[in-house]
Amino acid sequence: MSGGNQASTRARRDRWRSAALLIRDLVRIHPRPFFIAVSGSSVFALCTVASAVVLRWIIDHVIDPRLRQGTVAVGTVVIGLGLVIAVGVIRAAGVVVRRTWAGIAHWRIAETLTGQVVDRLVAQPVSWYQRRPSGDLAARGGVDVDASVDVLSPLPFATGVVLLVFVSSMWMLLIDVPLGLFAVAIFPVLIAINITYQHRVDRHYTAAQGHLGDLSAAVHESFEGVQVVKAFGAEARETERLSVIAGRLRESRTSAVLLKGSFDALLDSIPALANVALVLLGAYRIRSGDITIGDLASMIYMFTLLVFPLRLIGFALSALPHSLAGWNRVREVLDEPLEADPELGVAVAADGVGVAFAGVSYEFEAGRAVLSGVDVSVVRGGTTALVGTTGSGKTTLLRLAAGLIGPSSGTVSTVPGTRTIVLQEAFLLGASLRDNIAFGGDFGDDEIWTALDTAEGRDFVEDLPRQLDTEVGERGVSLSGGQRQRVALARALVRRPALLLMDDTTSALDPSTEARVVARLRAALTDATVLMVASRPSTIALADQVVFLNDTTIEATGTHIELLATNDTYRSIMEAFELDRSDPDAVGAPVIGPGSVTGGAT
Amino acid sequence: MEDEELGGRLGAARILSRGVQEAPRLREGFARTMLYAVIGAAGRVVIPITVQQGIDHGFTSAGVRMGFVTTLCAIAGGAVIIGTLAQRAAVLRLGRRSEGALYDLRVRVIRHIHQLSLADHTEERRGALVARVTSDVETLAEFFSWGGLAWLLDGALMLIVAAVMLSYDWLLALIAFGVALPLVWVLRVVQTHLGKAYDKARSRNAELLGSITEVVTGAESLRAYKAGHIMAGRTKVVARQRGDAFVRAGTIGAFLFPSGEVFSALTVAAVVGVGVLRGTAGGLTAGALVGFVFLTYRFLEPIAEFTEVLDQTQTAVAGMRRLLGILDLPIGPPQPTSPKALPAGPLSIHVNDVTFRYRSRGEVDDDEPVLIGVSAKIPPGQQVALVGSTGSGKTTLGRLLARFADPLAGQVVLGGVPLTHVDNTELRSRLVVVPQEPFLFDDTIAANLGFASPGTSLAELEHAVTALDLDDWLASMPDGLQTQVGERGMQLSAGERQLVALLRASVADPDVLILDEATSSVDALTEVRMARALERLAQGRTTIAIAHRLSTAMRADRVLVLEHGRLIEDGPHDQLVEAGGRYAELFSAWVSSTSTGTDEA
Ligand SMILES: Nc1ncnc2c1ncn2[C@@H]1O[C@H](COP(=O)(O)OP(=O)(O)OP(=O)(O)O)[C@@H](O)[C@H]1O
Ligand SMILES: Nc1ncnc2c1ncn2[C@@H]1O[C@H](COP(=O)(O)OP(=O)(O)OP(=O)(O)O)[C@@H](O)[C@H]1O
Ligand SMILES: [Mg+2]
Ligand SMILES: [Mg+2]
Repeated sequence: MSGGNQASTRARRDRWRSAALLIRDLVRIHPRPFFIAVSGSSVFALCTVASAVVLRWIIDHVIDPRLRQGTVAVGTVVIGLGLVIAVGVIRAAGVVVRRTWAGIAHWRIAETLTGQVVDRLVAQPVSWYQRRPSGDLAARGGVDVDASVDVLSPLPFATGVVLLVFVSSMWMLLIDVPLGLFAVAIFPVLIAINITYQHRVDRHYTAAQGHLGDLSAAVHESFEGVQVVKAFGAEARETERLSVIAGRLRESRTSAVLLKGSFDALLDSIPALANVALVLLGAYRIRSGDITIGDLASMIYMFTLLVFPLRLIGFALSALPHSLAGWNRVREVLDEPLEADPELGVAVAADGVGVAFAGVSYEFEAGRAVLSGVDVSVVRGGTTALVGTTGSGKTTLLRLAAGLIGPSSGTVSTVPGTRTIVLQEAFLLGASLRDNIAFGGDFGDDEIWTALDTAEGRDFVEDLPRQLDTEVGERGVSLSGGQRQRVALARALVRRPALLLMDDTTSALDPSTEARVVARLRAALTDATVLMVASRPSTIALADQVVFLNDTTIEATGTHIELLATNDTYRSIMEAFELDRSDPDAVGAPVIGPGSVTGGAT
Repeated sequence: MEDEELGGRLGAARILSRGVQEAPRLREGFARTMLYAVIGAAGRVVIPITVQQGIDHGFTSAGVRMGFVTTLCAIAGGAVIIGTLAQRAAVLRLGRRSEGALYDLRVRVIRHIHQLSLADHTEERRGALVARVTSDVETLAEFFSWGGLAWLLDGALMLIVAAVMLSYDWLLALIAFGVALPLVWVLRVVQTHLGKAYDKARSRNAELLGSITEVVTGAESLRAYKAGHIMAGRTKVVARQRGDAFVRAGTIGAFLFPSGEVFSALTVAAVVGVGVLRGTAGGLTAGALVGFVFLTYRFLEPIAEFTEVLDQTQTAVAGMRRLLGILDLPIGPPQPTSPKALPAGPLSIHVNDVTFRYRSRGEVDDDEPVLIGVSAKIPPGQQVALVGSTGSGKTTLGRLLARFADPLAGQVVLGGVPLTHVDNTELRSRLVVVPQEPFLFDDTIAANLGFASPGTSLAELEHAVTALDLDDWLASMPDGLQTQVGERGMQLSAGERQLVALLRASVADPDVLILDEATSSVDALTEVRMARALERLAQGRTTIAIAHRLSTAMRADRVLVLEHGRLIEDGPHDQLVEAGGRYAELFSAWVSSTSTGTDEA
């Protein structure tokens, strides 16, 4: 029992520690605006106490003399009212300063953090991304940063409130020790209730936060796959599934709200009851002549003014767990060491060699090799076709050559100079065609048009009313499949690469367009080494060399003609369409019988 | 953002009242809640009244009347407790109702978004749509748990305080109201600016989130082209702009609360000044004046809190406006009012003079239509190949047949019923599209297949795999049907993703199957095997296959050729080859591209 208690005390202490660290780390980023906000808040706190002092003075020196004794000097009235207004205005100014600079601190710190996260994200290699869901990563730079800085907004005010509690306690004790002691004793009670409440409500808020995260992820996936959802008429089913998660969110939210309502009532009633008690106690003190009516009234006034600021300590505390969670997620990205850049592991190939793999293996997860013992080299300055069945590892091999991922064992070497890869599924930014082709590089329009020429993209771009300025929409949605592929190809070509890696980048082109693209590529890239995943025999036949990938390793290399003559599996793939044409009903013909897709027909 | 414009012209009050309409649960038992709130508010004027009574009747010049004070305090204590309980009841009732209402609203919005047309589901809007269900509803949740409550309780408080003030001294009360009145005007002005500033800040925020998402989803391309730092730079610029926008909004907001403060100082000064000037002539007592000072603060305290919650209210109104914007978007394509049932069995497809233009690239109106006067009559059960060069409009025509959008002119008639009269759910169960870059859910292969037809047993799924001659392939997957496919299916190769999508379509067992380059990334051998399997599968269905690999066209009953949005050829394979037109050209390109050159040469 006591052991559990100790553990929970320790956990609580740790939490306070990490909260303090969080605040320190955040404030350190932009301390100036934060401290300006804190000083504005201090002015506010001092003026709040001052306004109670002024009220006492007015009751004792203006209201009481005038309404009970009948006279008061005009000068006294003017001074009193002037003080009320002056204190009010300065107090307001403190608030303006506090809020403005608290905002500046909040957003500048968020901006800096977002920048740091993004810098970190782009510094990590592709292999790092493979293990992490993209929605989660995007959240770290956005909502998580916002969550972690949320703790800052109430902080300057809360600091002011601490000062306010301190100064007003001193002042009340100065007025009258017994009454003051009674009043001051209420503060710790209020703060203790606040903390207890926070502690209890945190559980529900944390649960709600988790459900909200689940809901966003599920909603995101459901909307992302909306085409599938619609295609199978699953709208109602999906709504049902999501509403279950929303229901869980509702439950923990409701518990939190109900708890909050009860505590709010308690926290409101305590100062009110204390005030009633003050009137009663005050009556004795007035009777004994220790205090004036003004003293008592201003104490009550002080107490009334404190209710809202004291609640703020609660708000500041309630932001803590939420901010800590966000901050931890942000830190995970910032603190995680940069993964070794696989690109640095790519060696320079020997003279005459374009790309070489020596004993290369690759596994996404331990024990399941996608590539194993790959040994092959590709001539420099030539075109090599990479052929293989679905899922045989072609994309993986190209990504290794591009230095996007590193081999589990073995070495990859390539020709020195610019290396570019055209991915199997073109990624286009939600920007103009020009930006998508230049993609951060500094290229003139004529260079871009030349690249488009080679990629057979000039015609369609010229047909667009705004040509290179056309916005393609996020991921290039407003282009057809073949158009996207050619834009991605032009992006690679404009860089005049020494090594061009193409991953089935003509799959969405009709055969005649494809034939023209290949012909132009050969004419334009005389010095470059080209390694391309290809499937059509005509394209493959144009290559100087063919690398045939099967069953996680290189099964054969040579020219197209050689492989046709020597490798049955290769031949069966190449002739599949031809055979199909000559005998459309030859289902299950021996050469393309089951087994040849994954196993080799050795 | 178009959807923001829709609700954009409505004022805040209209938005709120429509919000309540959309979430009727909020109105349930509202009168009772309000009654509790009023009692609760009454509890909050107990202290000023106690002070006034105490000063006037308890602490007389003659001395302190302890008996009176004791009774007074007992009554006051009781009143405070009753008020507190009433307030608690009001808060709990409202809390329960509002959480329920938010849930209803969320589910409504989700349902509505799922029913929107695909044209409204572009990638650029995806983030915004998700935000509607999450962060926008959250702004409302925050509002209800603090701001909305504050309006309700404080509104009641102000009314009661005003009544007590009037009963003490109507002249002083009117003076207090008069001095405080300009505050309302100040608040309105500031609020207008604030609203605009927040709208701007929020759209900057959306831009930032979009930009970060691009950094993550495009990580591989950015890396491959060493463009990461450039994208990071762009994102930082947006982050700065967002910060600026929020700081600006915050600065405007910073003047709200203090203006309430200044006005309360002025009002107190005015009340005390006039009270002292008039003296006891009007029957004013010292207690009443002190009580009045307290009441003035109490009266303006809610205003101060109003200004605090005004930011939040602005945010909530903006969130609500965006939600209404979504709910006001017509679901699309619109559900027919009196749907006609489709005949059973394979369906015919008649395309009558269809013209279509995308509106998303809308900056330029004179964009040429993507489809122009396309007509074709496809009898039930026919196997049709749709071919043409890239960008000719094949995918677009497929989308129109599946009613992901409606044509600009002309119509599509399915099984004798115009598509506009077909019930959406029935359409989806009878017609399935398999796109080129299919979307898979982050789950197992089995779960993805089962999505097509919930309740399908594992054995049935296995049967579907066998029917498509894909047993070998499945055996090569590490965990068979239980293999995890990863986010968007990224743990599979591109060809494998297509195989899963095709299997999924076959599990759905539709009467019309539209394959949009559904096997473009699959190797030749697998494709031919699948084509044959599909041929068997296609018996008794109408199939439209879009493909650049003309092996599909060859075995189809009929070939349609699209060029620049026009249907230029239509007929069986042999006939078109003989005719020597565009198809003959495409076909000979295909033949030469797929000949190994050893046998024929
Ligand atoms: N991120 C990943 N995690 C786990 N396994 C993966 C991942 N990506 C690919 N694989 C697996 O690795 C194998 C090779 O994939 P790869 O993408 O290299 O094939 P491919 O030859 O390019 O196929 P395709 O012709 O279909 O594009 C496949 O079996 C695939 O399931
Ligand atoms: N969402 C869109 N907004 C604007 N224009 C679009 C959109 N989608 C496609 N287009 C344009 O419409 C034309 C036809 O596109 P579509 O995708 O139908 O071609 P396709 O025949 O399927 O081509 P591919 O063989 O390359 O897939 C293209 O010029 C394309 O740029
Ligand atoms: Mg691949
Ligand atoms: Mg297409």
